[in-house]
Amino acid sequence: MINKYKLSYNFKWWHAMSLACIFFITDVNASEGGPCKDYGECDKFKYSLNDMESLQSGASTFMNYCYGCHSLQYSRWGRVATDLQIPEEIFFDTLVFDKSIKSGDLMTGSMSKDSSVEWFGVAPPDLTLVSRVRGDDWIYSYLRAYYEDSSKQYGVNNLVYPGTAMPNVLMALQGSQKLICKNIPVIARNGGEKRDGTGKALTTEKCGFLEVPEGSGQLTKDEFDKVIYDLTNFLVYVGEPSKATRERIGWYVIFYFLIFTAVSYMLYREYHKDYH
Amino acid sequence: MSEMPGKLFGWLNSRLPILNTYERHLSKHPVPSKVNFWYLFGALASVVLIIQIISGIWLIMPYSNTEEEAFSSIEYIMRDVDYGWVIRYMHTTGASMFFAVVYLHMFRGLLYGSYQKPKELVWIFGCAIYLAMMAEGFLGYVLPYGQMSYWGAQVIISLFGAIPYIGDSLELWVRGDYYISGITVSRFFALHVVALPLVLIALVFLHLVALHEVGAGNPEGVDIEEFLDDDGIPLDSVPFFPYKVLNAFVAIGVFMTVFAIIMFFFPEGGGYFIEMANFEKANPLVTPEHIAPVWYYSPYYAMLRAVPDKLGGLIIMGSAVAILFVVPWLDNSKAASIRYKGIYSKIALALFAISFLTLGYLGTVGVTEVRKTMSVICTFIYFAFFLLMPIYTKFEQTKEVPKRL
Repeated sequence: MINKYKLSYNFKWWHAMSLACIFFITDVNASEGGPCKDYGECDKFKYSLNDMESLQSGASTFMNYCYGCHSLQYSRWGRVATDLQIPEEIFFDTLVFDKSIKSGDLMTGSMSKDSSVEWFGVAPPDLTLVSRVRGDDWIYSYLRAYYEDSSKQYGVNNLVYPGTAMPNVLMALQGSQKLICKNIPVIARNGGEKRDGTGKALTTEKCGFLEVPEGSGQLTKDEFDKVIYDLTNFLVYVGEPSKATRERIGWYVIFYFLIFTAVSYMLYREYHKDYH
Repeated sequence: MSEMPGKLFGWLNSRLPILNTYERHLSKHPVPSKVNFWYLFGALASVVLIIQIISGIWLIMPYSNTEEEAFSSIEYIMRDVDYGWVIRYMHTTGASMFFAVVYLHMFRGLLYGSYQKPKELVWIFGCAIYLAMMAEGFLGYVLPYGQMSYWGAQVIISLFGAIPYIGDSLELWVRGDYYISGITVSRFFALHVVALPLVLIALVFLHLVALHEVGAGNPEGVDIEEFLDDDGIPLDSVPFFPYKVLNAFVAIGVFMTVFAIIMFFFPEGGGYFIEMANFEKANPLVTPEHIAPVWYYSPYYAMLRAVPDKLGGLIIMGSAVAILFVVPWLDNSKAASIRYKGIYSKIALALFAISFLTLGYLGTVGVTEVRKTMSVICTFIYFAFFLLMPIYTKFEQTKEVPKRL
């Protein structure tokens, strides 16, 4: 009976697909706040695990500024020295401050958990896997997003992690960054600057900008960014020490399977002639 | 001397049906001569099963199934075990790829009616494999004992508590403790590495034996058994060896290339294959901001969240899987393949596929009002596809199925 009213609508897969797309596009607006919170979009970080100089400098920064509180409990001293191509003698002389440590030991930290809870309210987390939990973009943004805030225990706060318990350990290098408001030009609908009748550019006050007063730190902005880059790079390495090897070997494996596919395909084509 | 291997084989073969089994199930097994790429995912699934078993055995060796050491033993595998990271990523990537090929394999079944008479049992064993895989995957995900392992297990195990009367005691019985602990980890370990693999292998064996009894299908839905040559072999078939083996080899080559790209360059799969929160050790005191299952469970998780009542959600989730088992008796169509089915079947299948994918997306993101409504609509379409199948397959105009391939 129903067959009599034949559907004249010619159904195609993509009709249904486009319906789904409409939903996905409208859903983008509903996306949750980003991981970098008040900072907005995290700054992009591109690791370079074959840049030994960067990794070594990052390791040095870590040992000098971070290891006092943060452990790398799944990582071993000797492995770091080997992977970063630092001769063990130099490594143990310059970066390992506890002389009883052996090459195969885990980097279990130098602060007792009880006193750290007493001093900071929470024990500083182990950082071996921080780059895998938070992501490298997050670390790179977080370490550069401290600003002066006298209402906090250590006089600083952080845009990426508001209310962070960690003081700005690198303030001597960076200087005391402040959160400021700026007058910025109003952008007209056509994309240009909006001007009033006399041709003067209209401005509006916007807050939330980070600025370091010149000369308040030992390093310039670019130098400091490089220190954080190296430190983040080192944390990416520690998060997965075999990452560089993995990405190197991967090409060979893919190459092998491509050859395998090509050979099987040629053989398949030959045999396929038998029945077609 | 040269006759020795032949003699030995003869001795063995007269005591064990080696040659007979090999010819029946592999070398001479007749397969339809014309199939398309959809028919390759079964072979790929068995490849992944082998990858999972082998990598799994090697992971057991350094893994420690205690509350204190489970998490750190994974990092030990990743750092201190030679090429431990290869084995571990093989297993994590394998888990996702297993579900990927099985979902495609199941969709092939719906597309070409691979459940229709006489293949009902093949389909049912397949559904049982899928169910066992879901349990296997869940148990395995708890073993690294990261934050998502812990809280994922918390959500799933608490579902047992929603069952009336026996719920609370059942929940306790499954967990083995009043909260998720080392006891839970070690029993899940036993189930993950011994019990469920045995079940899986047995089911795969049955799936294949049943398949070889009734013969493989084809995208035309043609019964190739109707036209036989003088030896009783279907005219539209070719022997499995070497023809279909080579087919499978090409597929395996392409598949393993994709596998290698993921494994060596994107092992976390953007947080969908290994979730970022799972790199943090399980902490019963800190709930993660956003608990989401790995991608292959997310459609069912979205259904669970679409229902406000916990028991209702559990029933919906269970029925969503259970309904797959009865599909052979829901389809009244004269044609097996979508190529010869009518417009209603085509629209129904397309809407079903889209709602399933949408549910998959919804299960990975946080809940908003719009998304909740969307989940309800998609869950409704999911069930409507199956429940209305007896009606729309009966009243639609099918095209005539050809006699030969």
